[in-house]
Amino acid sequence: MDSHIRKVYVPMTETGFYILLCLREEAHGYSIVKKTEQLTHGEIKISPGTLYGSLSKMEKDGLIRFVREEDKRKIYCITDLGTQVLNLEMQRIARLYQSMEAAK
Amino acid sequence: MGNTKTQLRFFSVPEWQKEEKYLREQHKNGWAFVRVSGLGVYHFEKCVPQDVVYQLDYNADSTKQPNEYIQLFRDCGWEYLQNYAGYSYFRKAACEMGETEEGIFCDDASRLDMMKRVFVGRMTPLLIIFLSLIIPQMFIQSHSQFPESRAVFIFYCVLFAVYVIAFIQFGVRYWKFYRSVHK
Repeated sequence: MDSHIRKVYVPMTETGFYILLCLREEAHGYSIVKKTEQLTHGEIKISPGTLYGSLSKMEKDGLIRFVREEDKRKIYCITDLGTQVLNLEMQRIARLYQSMEAAK
Repeated sequence: MGNTKTQLRFFSVPEWQKEEKYLREQHKNGWAFVRVSGLGVYHFEKCVPQDVVYQLDYNADSTKQPNEYIQLFRDCGWEYLQNYAGYSYFRKAACEMGETEEGIFCDDASRLDMMKRVFVGRMTPLLIIFLSLIIPQMFIQSHSQFPESRAVFIFYCVLFAVYVIAFIQFGVRYWKFYRSVHK
């Protein structure tokens, strides 16, 4: 993982995190929105402009890859690099959570 | 009373939020936006007054309007209206949103990215015109002996002022926004 990826994605935005989390399975843009809404009990609703921009950037940086097109919807999937970034981010969030619990 | 109307409005490059407000106000007053053409000619048609949120996105690569781009917005309930000078126009009725008002962007990082796209896509060409045309022309005209040169020189001075204001406006907005995101 090069320094550019580290700088841009660790830590990443909440939207970025949910995109990678959802793309561990193949999915198109709107199903990422729906799944994120479900996971967060409606608290996070990803907007299409933000999503489109993030997907384009992540595809360019090789974190996700285009799989196929279905009914005008692009289906994406996470790559090995994307999984590495996601794991780093998960460790970081787990550490945050542990620190928070310890401080209680 | 006609069922359509046109209005002339000029919004400079960094004023898309002002334009969004303008379109929303029009819809509230019973005029639904149809399209914008030429140099800022806004076409409206009569409608039932309603609170409708208008949003503009800027994507250099969306000028080709990939289907999947428009489809994603449609899936999220945003009606695609048109592309105008690199800007894509969308709208969604406020009553279709939840308790909180929605926009097409949901975090500051993506709002800043949009500003960057506008800057690269629109301000950079302006800067090139500015440096390669206006400044040399001002210099040439001010040293010319022809009587018409004076008028041409003034014309370039006005252009110069307009461009400088546009750059400063954008620079200040970008800086303020950048500071609010990276406190």
